[in-house]
Amino acid sequence: MTLRWNLTCLLLILPIVFFNPFAQPARASGDPLPDTPFEQIREQARGTRVNWYMYGGWAHVNAWVDTFVAKEMKQRYDIDLKRVPMDAGVFVNKLLNEKAAEKKTGTIDLLWINGENFKNAKQAGLLFGPFAGRLPNVQQYVDPGSISHDFGFPVEGYEAPFGRAQFVFEYDTARTGTPPDTVAALKEWIMAHPGQFTYPQPPDFTGSAFVRHILYAVSGGHDPYMDGWDPDLYEKNAPLLWDWLNQIKPFLWQKGRTYPRDSAFLDTLFARGEVALGMSYHPPHAQNMIIEGSYPDTVRTFALKDGSIFNTHFTAIPFNAPNKAGAMVLADFLVSVDAQISKFQPENWGDFPVLDMNRLTLSDRQRFEAVDLGPATLTPEQLAKTAVPEIPAPYLEALEQDWKTHVLDR
Amino acid sequence: MSWTGNRTAILLLKLSPLMLPFLVLFCGGVFLTVCQSLGLFTPLPHTGGLVDAYAVILSDPSFFASAGFSFGVALASAAGSVAAATFLAYRVWQLPKKMAGAALVYKIPLILPHIAVAFVVLVFWSRSGILASLAHALGLIQSMQEFPNVLYSGWGVGMILAYTLKGTPFAMLLILALLVRFDVRQIQTAAMLGASKPRIFFAIVLPRLAPALHTSFIILFLYSFGAFDIPYILSESRPGMLSLHVFDLYFKHDLARRPEAMAILTLMFGFAVLFIIAYSRTVTRLENGVRKL
Repeated sequence: MTLRWNLTCLLLILPIVFFNPFAQPARASGDPLPDTPFEQIREQARGTRVNWYMYGGWAHVNAWVDTFVAKEMKQRYDIDLKRVPMDAGVFVNKLLNEKAAEKKTGTIDLLWINGENFKNAKQAGLLFGPFAGRLPNVQQYVDPGSISHDFGFPVEGYEAPFGRAQFVFEYDTARTGTPPDTVAALKEWIMAHPGQFTYPQPPDFTGSAFVRHILYAVSGGHDPYMDGWDPDLYEKNAPLLWDWLNQIKPFLWQKGRTYPRDSAFLDTLFARGEVALGMSYHPPHAQNMIIEGSYPDTVRTFALKDGSIFNTHFTAIPFNAPNKAGAMVLADFLVSVDAQISKFQPENWGDFPVLDMNRLTLSDRQRFEAVDLGPATLTPEQLAKTAVPEIPAPYLEALEQDWKTHVLDR
Repeated sequence: MSWTGNRTAILLLKLSPLMLPFLVLFCGGVFLTVCQSLGLFTPLPHTGGLVDAYAVILSDPSFFASAGFSFGVALASAAGSVAAATFLAYRVWQLPKKMAGAALVYKIPLILPHIAVAFVVLVFWSRSGILASLAHALGLIQSMQEFPNVLYSGWGVGMILAYTLKGTPFAMLLILALLVRFDVRQIQTAAMLGASKPRIFFAIVLPRLAPALHTSFIILFLYSFGAFDIPYILSESRPGMLSLHVFDLYFKHDLARRPEAMAILTLMFGFAVLFIIAYSRTVTRLENGVRKL
């Protein structure tokens, strides 16, 4: 009897020991590289392997990383690059579990991250840093003001810039005449073309961004929101947004009863002709789809005059990265002129550079100017004219939650 | 140490390859889920009370809409699968030996992953899909708007189709396993005594199949109630399946909302346990009633 009781106890306690949820959170793992000169970090990283966890849903981006980046990292720094496809929300959760289990040596060296995922990771102490300010290419080419905040959340050097994205709409010139160019005109257009428009349902990244455009447009632009979270302001302005979205609802695809789950779903609807307008947070997306053969050659993009939201995406290093030196070398290489130009070419990716063009040499600037973006992508000048910054993350979270109550469930 | 204690210890030791993964992974997982639903051991320090997450969820009418919808989809697809499987398995069993080999095609959906079946349904049934194109080519419809809105009818028809497609061969497998051991002379005797075909089926065959029907129904029901892959492709936005709400809360919202995701999971787990208990009790009571007659 006693033995059986003991065994039962043991078996019941085992999971607790295994998961050890009662343990105190890990101390910040010892910083292996305090103020080491970057040359020495490069030396330290030579002959090592870097595991880069990144969103894997874009074949052309994967190909660019596996070929150009991997080859250059090997040649320049003798570093083996291993790309691991994983959604940002998933690797943040993986790191949370590792942190809870006090796993001091993880498997991830570098993350591709921004926005809420960065905020979540930084608040939970999952990131190593600050390191961005120590990267030579960041020091030399990047305007610090342009990377001080990520969705209104202070970056403080815990992530290094990687690329820039801006929101555009897509349409097929062969099917649709002149597309609407303001938010007001968009509403008229939607009502005149029932069933031809929809947006991915928040919290999808793209759909959520679409909703923020409307918020800016119906409540006097982005300025009021830039000072951080103000509940009164939100309470005052959000109803204007819900009104707008509910007014177009009966004219949406499937009469607004259902929405595409993510932007890939919307892309499919657009490609198959079920809807007439597409949208993307990546200006070269349509051109990429044309090159890939998914969209017809006649697809073009446009931005609304009321403003089109841009953001910067970043790379960051986990607290328990086994190869922090290698991760820093890779993060630095990604900000180099060569990498940024290669990334800018639409046949590779078309992602916009994060470099401050005024800090470049004339010849480097000309290399950027010489890149042919393709007919479907707007030029950086066209995009810059309408560019407005992202909203601070607390607004974003509130909008995503309340959209469900005030639009979807209404 | 008593003799029985010793024997129990040895038995437990022998069972440990089965018990340990169960206890460590399953019970450990449930334990953590319940803890996090109460705001304990959450990634971000939880500031509210123990049952805050439950209060938030239970005060949200859309949660009940989703729960009811998930229940309906699971019920329809499990019942549909079991009914179709019973009919098909009975027919397959009656086939002459030569054709029985060909009937093995029923196993094909078994080897397809759920997500592949979801895509099959999407590709065939959407308004720009294969069936709509075919109907257009045959002149049955003039535009894709005329094709029945199967996937977005608000009733989860797409998901039910996919689950039934996947669940039917599974239930057939269990039912056929019972049928091959079935003594065909019972049927012959009944037929000689003048029983009609439906009567033979309902009075003789079906009661023998009951254990397989109940088992497959419970498994299929609980799977479709909680699974994620098919809804991810085929679910509509409203009312969404519960599993999708959990996914969104877990991966796409602020970390502070982790307890809500875990509370939904805990409620779903509790429901599954209650469902199994209630179902088996009802079945026992019904069978006892039959015996008394």
